[in-house]
Amino acid sequence: MTTKQTSVKLVLLGEAAVGKSSLVLRFVSNDFQENKEPTIGAAFLTQRCTIGSKTIKFEIWDTAGQERFANLAPLYYRNAQAALVVYDITKPASFIKARHWVKELHEQASKNIVIALVGNKFDLVVDEETGEEIEGKRSVSSEEGQNLADEEGLLFFETSAKTALNVNEVFMAIGSKIPDASSKGPEQRLGDSSSGSTSNRIDLNAPVDSAVGGGNCAC
Amino acid sequence: MADRRPSMAERRPSMQNSRRPSVIPHLAGIEKPVLPTTPDECDVLICGTGLVESVLAAALAWQGSNVLHVDSNPYYGDTCSTLTIEQIKAWCHHVNSNSPGFHGFTKALLYIPRPNKLNSKDYSIDLTPRILFAKSDLLSLLIKSRVFRYLEFQSISNFHTFENDSFGKMSSSKEEIFTDQSLSLSSKRSLMKLMKFVFEYDNEENAALLAQHKTTPFVKFVEEKYRLLPGQINELCYTLGLSSTPDIQTPQAMSRIRRYLISFNVYGNFPALYSKFGGPGEISQGFCRSAAVAGATYKLDTTLQSFDSETKLATFKDGTKVKVSEKVVCSPSQAPTGSQYTPERKYEVTRLVTIVEKSCKEWFSDGDSAAVVVFPPNSLPSLNKFPVQVMIMGPGSGCCPNGQCIWYLSTIEKGEKARLDVESGLKKLEESILRESEDSGFDVALNDEDIVVRPDGTASVINSVKLGKSYKEFVPKEKLTFLFKLMFTQFTSVEPFGVASESVYRRASKEEVSSLAASGAPDKGIVYSNMPSAEISYDGIVTEAKLLYTSIVGSDDDFFDVDFEDEDETDQISNQNNNDSAIVDEDDEEFKDEMDFEL
Repeated sequence: MTTKQTSVKLVLLGEAAVGKSSLVLRFVSNDFQENKEPTIGAAFLTQRCTIGSKTIKFEIWDTAGQERFANLAPLYYRNAQAALVVYDITKPASFIKARHWVKELHEQASKNIVIALVGNKFDLVVDEETGEEIEGKRSVSSEEGQNLADEEGLLFFETSAKTALNVNEVFMAIGSKIPDASSKGPEQRLGDSSSGSTSNRIDLNAPVDSAVGGGNCAC
Repeated sequence: MADRRPSMAERRPSMQNSRRPSVIPHLAGIEKPVLPTTPDECDVLICGTGLVESVLAAALAWQGSNVLHVDSNPYYGDTCSTLTIEQIKAWCHHVNSNSPGFHGFTKALLYIPRPNKLNSKDYSIDLTPRILFAKSDLLSLLIKSRVFRYLEFQSISNFHTFENDSFGKMSSSKEEIFTDQSLSLSSKRSLMKLMKFVFEYDNEENAALLAQHKTTPFVKFVEEKYRLLPGQINELCYTLGLSSTPDIQTPQAMSRIRRYLISFNVYGNFPALYSKFGGPGEISQGFCRSAAVAGATYKLDTTLQSFDSETKLATFKDGTKVKVSEKVVCSPSQAPTGSQYTPERKYEVTRLVTIVEKSCKEWFSDGDSAAVVVFPPNSLPSLNKFPVQVMIMGPGSGCCPNGQCIWYLSTIEKGEKARLDVESGLKKLEESILRESEDSGFDVALNDEDIVVRPDGTASVINSVKLGKSYKEFVPKEKLTFLFKLMFTQFTSVEPFGVASESVYRRASKEEVSSLAASGAPDKGIVYSNMPSAEISYDGIVTEAKLLYTSIVGSDDDFFDVDFEDEDETDQISNQNNNDSAIVDEDDEEFKDEMDFEL
C-alpha cells in the first residue's frame, strides 16, 4: 500500500432509531440486515475509502446508547475530525434533536470538525415501484435540512441505508473535505506543538522487541 | 458465596454453536429503539463512575449482567474525575459546603489570580493523577478489553529525586549504573547486587531471606545488608519504588522496585506511561464506553436516595425507582443521605495542584511531556516525615496550553502538617525550575568528564553532584507565575499499601457489617467501593474491581473473559490490488481484529 493514508475519527450523533448504525453498516459492509445478531463488541468500526490519490481510513464511533440521557463523554468527541448528525425525515422530533447535536458538536468538538447532516430513511417516502416520492410521507422537507446545513456550514445529504442511496456519497464528501494531513489530525488541540505530538503516542499493543530491549534483565 | 452465574455465552444459546458472529458496535437503529426512559429493572446498579466502578461496570456488562450505571455528578469520573477549571470551581464549592452526607474531601482552597486568564476548557485537571507502569494489571486489562483504543498513552521517562537541594535522575538501568560517575565502584557493585536480588526474589535462597525479613523495614534492610548510602536508599525506596511511607517493609519495597525495573523497556526506554488529556477520569470514560457497548445503561446527574434491601427497590432523588435483582454497588461519595455504613475515613491524602506559566521542559526527557519528582522524607525544610510525590504534566500531555505546566503534589501526612509539607515542596519546585530554566543557573565549569554519553549514544547525563553545588548559590532573576492553585485533603479507607492485594481492600470494606445492619438505614445491603487510595500508580484498581465483581458474580473466573481473539493469520487475504474501487474491501489484519471475536 503506497497511497497516503489518513486516519479520521468519525462520530455518529442523532436520536435513537434514526438509522445511525444502519448507515454505518451499509457503508462498512455494504449490507442492510434487519435481523443482524445484535451488537456486541468492537471499539469502533473501520472502513477505508480512496478518494483520488489519498486513502482515508475512517474510525467510526457509535454512541453505544450513551446518547440516551445526553451522557456522551468528552472522550467521545475528543479528536473527532468528522461527525454524522443523523435524523429521520419522517420524524420531525429527530430533526429538532439534530439541531441540538450540531450545537453540542460546536461546543465539545474541535473547531475544524467536518460535519455532515444526514436525513435518513428516504426509502420510506418513495414508491418502491416507481421511485417517485409519495406526497405526505415526509415530515422534514429537503429545504429545511438544506437551510440548517447552510446556516451551520454542514454537508447535507438525504440517504437511505436500506437502498444504499447516497450512503457512500456522504462518506466520500466528508473524506474530500478532510484537510490533508499525514496522520491523526489537523487537530491542534491545546498544547499540541507543531512537532507532531502524535509521534509520541505509545501503541500499547506494540511492545518493543524484547531481544532489543535487554532492560528486562539487569543482572 | 453465591453460585457462579452463567456467563454471557451460556445465557445466549443462539451464539453457542454458530460461527463467530461478525461484531458490530451497538446498532440502535437496527434493534429495538432505545428510548430515553430509565429502565425499571436491572441486575446491578452502580452509583459513581470512578475508575474502579467503571472497570466493574464493563466487566459485569461483558459478563452478561444488565447494568445500570449512574453518577450524581453531571460528568464522568466521580472522585477520580478529570475536570475543567469551571468544573473545579463547582467541585470546590461542593466540597466546602455543609451538605449532609458522606464527605470524601475536605478544605478545598482554590486560588486563581485576577484577571483570570484561564480558558476553562483548555485544562484537564485530575483529582487523583496516576501513572501506569508498563507491566501492570491495568495495562493488561486495557489491552484485553480493547479500551486502550479509545485512549492515547505517552511515556514518562524521568523520575527525579530531590536531594541536597537539587534533582538527581535515578540510575535505574544497568547501563546507567555503570556510567554514573557519581557512584563509586563499591556502590555500583552493591547496587547491582541488589538489583539482581530484586529480579531473583523468588529463587529459594532469596525467598527464604525475604521471609526472614518480612517485617524488617526496607530502609534498615538495605542499609545493613547492602551498605547503600542514604541517597541511594532514598532513590530506590521513594523514586523507583514510589513508596508513600518510610515504614515500608522489605518484601513490599522489593516488589515495588521490581515493578519499576520490569516495566523498563517494555515499550521503550521508560518504565511508565500516562493517558493523554487526563488520567483516571479519562480511562474511566473508556471503560464506561466499553460497558455501554456491551449494553450497560448510563445516566449522569442521578442521585441515589435510598435502597430497600427487602423489596430490592432503589429510589433516586428525581423519584424514579429501579428494581435491582442482584446488588447495588456505591461509591462512598454517592451514598444516600443518612447512610450508616459508608467506609471509614481513616487515611488522608493531601494534594496541591498548581498550574504554572512555564513549560518545565527542563524536567522532561526528550519527547516526553511528563515527569515524576519525589521529595524523600526529611528532604524539605518542613522536615517532612513522609515523601512528597509530584507528577509534572507538560503541555504535550494535552492537559494544559503551551508554555504552561501542571504540578500535582501529594503526601499521606495528615492535617495541617501535610499542607506545610506540600507547600514546602512547591517552593523547592519553584526554585528548581527557575534555576534550571535560566541559563545563568549553569554557571559551573563543566568539562567533558561531566557529560556522560550513554552506551546507545543517544542521551547524555550531566554530573548531577557538580550541578547541585552551583544550585545552592543560585538567586533567581524572575518569579514564577502561578495561574491556579488548589489544595485539598482527601479521605480514604484504603491504607497506603506496599503491594495492592485483596486483603488491603477487605480490611477497608465493611460489607459484612452493612448486610447485617438494622433495617431502616437507607444503605442497608449496599456494597461500597472505596475512595481512591494514596497510591500514585494505578495499582489496586483492578484488584478492587475484581473483589467487587466476585462479591456479585461469585468468582472472578470470568472477569473480562471476553475473547477478542484475533483471526488466524491464515484466514487473512491481503487485498492490495483493490484500490481502484472507491470503497476498499477491508480484509486486512487490522480490520479482522476489530470486527470479529469469539464468545
